[in-house]
Amino acid sequence: MNAVNQMTTTQNESKLKGWIEKLFNSTDLGMMPVIAALIAIWIIFEILNPHFLTPRNLSNLSAQIVVTGTLALAETLVILLGMIDLSIGWSSVVAASVFSVGTVFFNLPVWPCVFLGIGASVVIGFLQGILISRVGVPSFVVSLGGAMIAEGLVLAMLTQHGGSVPLSDNLSTAVGTLNVPPLWSWVISLTLFAVFAVFSLRRHADRRRRGAGEAHTIVFAKLASMLVVLVIGVGLLCAYQGMPVLLVIFLAALFASAFLTKSTRFGRYLYAVGGNAEAARRAGINVRFVQLAAFTLAGALVGLGGLLDAARLGVASATVGDSDIMLNAVAAAVIGGTSLFGGRGSVYGAFFGALVIASVGNGMDLIGAPSSVRFGVEGVILLAAITIDTLLRQRRLRSGRA
Amino acid sequence: MNSASTHDLLSVKGLHKKYGAVTALRDVSFTVRRGEVTALLGDNGAGKSTTIKAIAGVAPADSGSIRLEGQEVHIRRPADATSLGIQTVYQDLALCDNLGICANLFLGRERVSGPFGLLRDVDMEEEARRVLKTLRVNLPALDTPVAALSGGQRQAVAIARAVLWGKKIVIMDEPTAALGVAQTAEVLRLVRDLAEHGFGVILITHNMQNVFEVADSVVVLRLGQTVMEERKSNLTPEAVVGCITGSRTTIGGMA
Repeated sequence: MNAVNQMTTTQNESKLKGWIEKLFNSTDLGMMPVIAALIAIWIIFEILNPHFLTPRNLSNLSAQIVVTGTLALAETLVILLGMIDLSIGWSSVVAASVFSVGTVFFNLPVWPCVFLGIGASVVIGFLQGILISRVGVPSFVVSLGGAMIAEGLVLAMLTQHGGSVPLSDNLSTAVGTLNVPPLWSWVISLTLFAVFAVFSLRRHADRRRRGAGEAHTIVFAKLASMLVVLVIGVGLLCAYQGMPVLLVIFLAALFASAFLTKSTRFGRYLYAVGGNAEAARRAGINVRFVQLAAFTLAGALVGLGGLLDAARLGVASATVGDSDIMLNAVAAAVIGGTSLFGGRGSVYGAFFGALVIASVGNGMDLIGAPSSVRFGVEGVILLAAITIDTLLRQRRLRSGRA
Repeated sequence: MNSASTHDLLSVKGLHKKYGAVTALRDVSFTVRRGEVTALLGDNGAGKSTTIKAIAGVAPADSGSIRLEGQEVHIRRPADATSLGIQTVYQDLALCDNLGICANLFLGRERVSGPFGLLRDVDMEEEARRVLKTLRVNLPALDTPVAALSGGQRQAVAIARAVLWGKKIVIMDEPTAALGVAQTAEVLRLVRDLAEHGFGVILITHNMQNVFEVADSVVVLRLGQTVMEERKSNLTPEAVVGCITGSRTTIGGMA
């Protein structure tokens, strides 16, 4: 009897030990660390201030992640290549400045100004991409110079108007302040989920028919857990005023980026070039084009982020570029598990990373902590993320897998 | 010689290549037969890699001829070699470790549909499974990142990619250099299998034991020249080593 008990205990122990060993020996943890960190942060703030996890505060939080999140999507595209773009902060302000000057002082219609604003950031991304991909200048230096030029452009546009231009058009007011009513929030999100579920089930059935693929239970469990998260999220937001329009736009950008990076040939090339540029070149991939396209696409997302920020604040302001908008986006991408060494990570990581950054900021405000503490905590989280990334890379190098 | 010519798949004659003032290849000639493994041997600097690069189109030779199935071919770029059915497994494998097995097999030649270049993963996986089955290679799930594979498994992925895209000739540069005993045996079996499937295999190696295990014929280069081309059955390891190092100058009929 004793012997049997002992045996089962050892078996259980060895199973647990094996699982822990597997975790510690893993070379790619994906988004596990960021989700764990997010849960821990939410628990801590909820204990410190019970207002943290209320529908009202979560609604605020969901709007606070939008700008950092959109810029982090852009940064993720570039970091996946093993490069970096330090110009995204000022480039986003260029978009906002072009938009505000166009709508307020030239009285241009609002939609052309949206495209002009985003177009300005696209041009900045494209020109930087040319220098980086054709000439081979390191992206760090190119984007540092790009940031300075973008700052100059912003000052050239805004200084004569006192450094900031209040927006008055209907579109930015609507985007910056309105919520999608609860009923429509439910209709839109559940319809999108249904479409996604149908596609993934059809794909699963196709795969099973050809004698491969996961078990039915895994696929259903994945869909069910997604549905649960969706219902809780939308439910909380609808318990206040519905989904903020800002959030809806950000989620659209997120899903478009996810589709691009995970399901298309271009996305495959993005990961391939970031993982092993020489292998990609020998496989016939146009490495320079992929780099140029990534910086240009990042420019489009940066422009969108700049317009969303201006809509949220109701003003296009030069001081935004001086704030930590760029550093927050880089931090969000890295905290989300995207490796600065390239080839590993995902745009969903940028979403969770932005959520971590915004949660810390929001929670610190709620408990009335000074900025000094807030910066300290954010810095520690960023250092933890990059340390994990570096340790995992060293482990890959040791086992000859880098 | 004439009786064997129907089996001749690739025949290289008088390859010459200069890098600036340095003559890398003086006169390299040899023949690869269908369904056979041809070992390409030589000391460091003998011209093995340069010969391979000329055939793979990475660095074309200055003069000399390459005939594939009796037809003279001109290989100027890697794409030319690929379209002629010649694939190379490089020493560093040229795999993207962050991508899955299937993604690596189809890298640069993805099956896509629609205006966005939507990846047809299920089709690609099906074809990958078929190729891996004919090679009798056992690999984990096809979306497993290559980083998670052993050295032998990675080599198998690189070889499978060459088989998937090569139709006639597979060139392997030191495929067993970094492998353990069991993995080396597995890769050598793959090499043998490829020949039995009708490929002409060119195997570069320093390991004499490997040569005598799998090769059908042996070509030795020294200082950019072919100094021996002989059936394995007529050779001993000592004779081959002697020829590589230059302590013997003539073996059998070749000079």
